[in-house]
Amino acid sequence: MNDLRFAVRQLIKSPGFTLIALITLALGIGLNTAIFSLINDLFLRPLSFKEPDRVVHMYSNANDRNLLELPISAPRYQHYRDGQTIFDGFGAENINAFTLTGLGDPVQLFGGKVTSNYFDVLGVHPIRGRNFLPQEEDTADVAMVTENFWQKRMGGDARVIGRTIILDGVPHTVVGVLPNLPFSWIGPNAEVWTTKPFAIPGFSYERMMRGTGFLRVVGRLKPGMTIAQARAALPSLDQSYRTQSPDKIDSSATMSLKTLPEDVTGNLRPAFATLLAAVAFVLLIACSNVANLLLVRFSGRRREIALRMALGASRASVLQLFIFESLLVSILAGVVGSGLAWQLVPLVPKMAANFLPFDPETGVSLSFPVLGFTIALSILTGMAMGIYPALQSSRADLVDGLKEGGRGTSGSVRQQRFRKILVGAQVALSVTLLAGAALLITSFVRLNRQSIGFRAENLWIGLVTLPQAQYPDLATRQHFVERTLAALHAIPSLQSATVSGDIPLLAGAGSQTLYSRADGEILPVDKRASAVSHDIAPDYFKTWGIPILAGRDIDQHDVSDHQNVVLISQAGAKKVFGNENPIGKTLLVTSGSTPVEIVGVVGDVRSRKVVEPNDMEFYRPWAQENFPFAVVAVRSGLRVDAVTKLVQSALNTVDPGLAIAIPQSMDKIVAQALGQARLMMWLLGIFAGAALLLATVGIYGAVAYTVEQRTGEIGVRMALGAQTMDVLRLIVNQGMRPVIFGLVVGLAAALALGRLIASQLYQTSAHNPVLLVATMSLLGLAALLACVFPARRAALVDPVQALRAE
Amino acid sequence: MIRLRNLERSYPLGHGQTVYVLRDINLDVTEGDFVSVMGPSGAGKSTLLHILGMHDHGWTGEYFFDETAVHHLKSKERATLRNERIGFVFQQYHLLDDLTVYENLDIPLSYRRYSKSERAALVAHALDRFQIVGKKDLYPRQLSGGQQQLIGIARAIIASPKLLLADEPTGNLHSSQGEEIMELFRKLNAEGMTIVQVTHSEKNAGYGNRIVQLRDGWIVDS
Ligand SMILES: Nc1ncnc2c1ncn2[C@@H]1O[C@H](COP(=O)(O)OP(=O)(O)OP(=O)(O)O)[C@@H](O)[C@H]1O
Ligand SMILES: [Mg+2]
Repeated sequence: MNDLRFAVRQLIKSPGFTLIALITLALGIGLNTAIFSLINDLFLRPLSFKEPDRVVHMYSNANDRNLLELPISAPRYQHYRDGQTIFDGFGAENINAFTLTGLGDPVQLFGGKVTSNYFDVLGVHPIRGRNFLPQEEDTADVAMVTENFWQKRMGGDARVIGRTIILDGVPHTVVGVLPNLPFSWIGPNAEVWTTKPFAIPGFSYERMMRGTGFLRVVGRLKPGMTIAQARAALPSLDQSYRTQSPDKIDSSATMSLKTLPEDVTGNLRPAFATLLAAVAFVLLIACSNVANLLLVRFSGRRREIALRMALGASRASVLQLFIFESLLVSILAGVVGSGLAWQLVPLVPKMAANFLPFDPETGVSLSFPVLGFTIALSILTGMAMGIYPALQSSRADLVDGLKEGGRGTSGSVRQQRFRKILVGAQVALSVTLLAGAALLITSFVRLNRQSIGFRAENLWIGLVTLPQAQYPDLATRQHFVERTLAALHAIPSLQSATVSGDIPLLAGAGSQTLYSRADGEILPVDKRASAVSHDIAPDYFKTWGIPILAGRDIDQHDVSDHQNVVLISQAGAKKVFGNENPIGKTLLVTSGSTPVEIVGVVGDVRSRKVVEPNDMEFYRPWAQENFPFAVVAVRSGLRVDAVTKLVQSALNTVDPGLAIAIPQSMDKIVAQALGQARLMMWLLGIFAGAALLLATVGIYGAVAYTVEQRTGEIGVRMALGAQTMDVLRLIVNQGMRPVIFGLVVGLAAALALGRLIASQLYQTSAHNPVLLVATMSLLGLAALLACVFPARRAALVDPVQALRAE
Repeated sequence: MIRLRNLERSYPLGHGQTVYVLRDINLDVTEGDFVSVMGPSGAGKSTLLHILGMHDHGWTGEYFFDETAVHHLKSKERATLRNERIGFVFQQYHLLDDLTVYENLDIPLSYRRYSKSERAALVAHALDRFQIVGKKDLYPRQLSGGQQQLIGIARAIIASPKLLLADEPTGNLHSSQGEEIMELFRKLNAEGMTIVQVTHSEKNAGYGNRIVQLRDGWIVDS
């Protein structure tokens, strides 16, 4: 207890040291715990399915055309379902939107049409009722809803099972209520599922069976079956499908498998790795920082140790004294760090929610194992740093220790070297982190500046699903669009309005279509390139702000019984026709090889991902090709909800049974498309900032403490003729030497680790020399400042006082 | 060589009071003198030496060094003058523990305008002269007190000062070691170096040609 009181007194005696050590460690512990908790909760939490790693997601790949991880076609699903022996259950989901009527105003819902065993394969048990039955798969109008749907839309009705809900105008019987399903699997809005999965809205059965991929196929591995064994079993199934269905458009595809956890987090892995590395760096910097401070502090007390031992203290009791002191710092920092993490944890999802469509249900909580880990690490650091100098000093010659006047004694040569290594390591870690952050920030700036090809500002969009019953064919859907646009044009406050079949930059934007030139060699369907195709109503290019570069826009003559026409993107024109004039040429599109005449070339648009390079895009008149999904786009200066009201009222005059889903500004969709990059930039920027701060504080602390200890030496040097500049140079030189060493090591590490984030960079080389130099300069400058301040204090030492103090 | 007129040094005591450590000091030291400053503890001997050595600037009065009015010099000019003319020996030797004998001798040269080769030559010469060549790679703690003070003196005169200031140079030494140091001083003095030393020992003072007695900051006898 006496020792503890002594330790407390020692810490109070040097508040600067105590504060720096405390803040440093607390920051390391706090940031780490917050980020780990976040990653843990948002991404690493296991899917709430039964043994999710036994469930695989099957993808179709056309490797020769670099078309990877595509959905599965109905004939292929059926072929594998009937022929496979590797899965206990093999199900499929056809992701779908529904219009719900009869429960208040019509609303747009999301969900899917599934095979009857789908939820059994996932291992989801309904909280009420039952899963679908096999006999319900092809004919029955039955539905399962989520707990949210049940509570929100049906008021938690106790007699929900057996009730009827009207989806797309057809009464469906509710047979089960599902627990709320993981967002990472079903998406943000899904809440209802029905059967009858083998249909593509707007496609005939015959066209659907040509091999268009649209199913999300999952299988549960048989007990004892490994994923490797399952993968090995696929080629023979691929082969038999190829021989049995040589004319399907997907006949030459090969299948691949991913376990569900891998599937839902796979594309986030590089980002995780980067984040984890970044926080680990911050913690390491914090620990080495404190280690250094403790080392300087303790090694400056060799004399005290020697004196204590000369007075009869055992080595153990001396060790205990120092360990108490460092433990005290660690524990205090742990407490402050926990508080910091407590505050930070709920903050980050809030920040991220603006960028990423996070599940609002996901509560993020402090991860106690992580907190424990970081505190344990800091305590370990404290102990090690307490023991090391204490052991070294207490082993040292007693007489030496007593004799030393403290002139130039900032520890033994070995200790000094160790401390320099610590400072160097801190600098190296910081440079690496800063370089990474600089790369991501640059990349984000480039990404943000990337022209997406359309004007997203002041653009409102909303989705309307057209029920099959009322809108069974091309003509009825064309009629709907004509009337809707007429109603919208009548509203004077809207600048322009149009309808199209998809929303750019939203998952699954635009349908993919196969195409080939009609002249010259015509490739077989399964060898054709694929491109995004948009079905567009008049005024599309005007409303979206896409320039028509050659030829003409679609007009009222481009209807179903006229020549099929298409506008193509500039990049596509260059790719397919080179220097030829594409206008007037004919392409064969879709699985049916429909001939379409090119009437215009338009500007390139990033319709799927901002990072995806420009490629061929098709724009076909809505009157000639359409599906029962109508995206209304309106350009106006009004706010989102004002436009929503106007469009809804216009829609009501056309068909009061229709609802607008996901009305929002296109700006928001663009922002979300950049969300992950933005979040990464922010987080890494914050970590890098913390690292820079910690490293600077660390260097400052080490140098300042050294100066304090070397006052005597500095006094002697001044008495021997050293002038202000000499003293400055001495301190800055000594302080900067490990910094330079760290900069060099950090540069090497940054170059090496650049590969780790290369996949996350957009038009930014991981080895960008300007950025690396700027990073190093920034850190070098910060370090220099950190040295100059204590050095200036050193230069102000009064030699008379310094010598007298001896 | 040195002329002090009405030199005074005081420290603030707090509460607006000051304490005088040196009062109305008038002192002349001519070239070739070997002066011993004596007096009881707290008389102000070290203070006087630090003023002469231009470490302390908080005094009033006049201080002429070779006709240069030190009291009119800026601190940078004083430092230059000091580096050219003055060497300093301390009671506690004040060798830097982390540096070898060789490196300790090199410190004063590193702060003056000498080329690398000149520095090496001067250090080699000093090692030779004080017969410590064999110890050049040792650290101070590996030397006896007398040997350390020998290095301290070698270091003080390595840049060929005209004036050597020594504050109780033998205070930490045995009498036999002390005698050696005093013999060395006498030799240096004979070679033309002006020396001002502080000492408590009559015997040491006997090596000099003049004694200045300080009491409570006053010169009582010179
Ligand atoms: N910074 C200071 N503030 C106040 N008084 C001081 C300060 N420095 C020295 N003194 C006082 O000045 C007086 C003279 O000190 P000085 O060191 O010159 O004495 P000294 O003659 O060298 O004594 P000793 O023989 O013990 O070395 C002492 O009374 C001392 O207390
Ligand atoms: Mg004294």
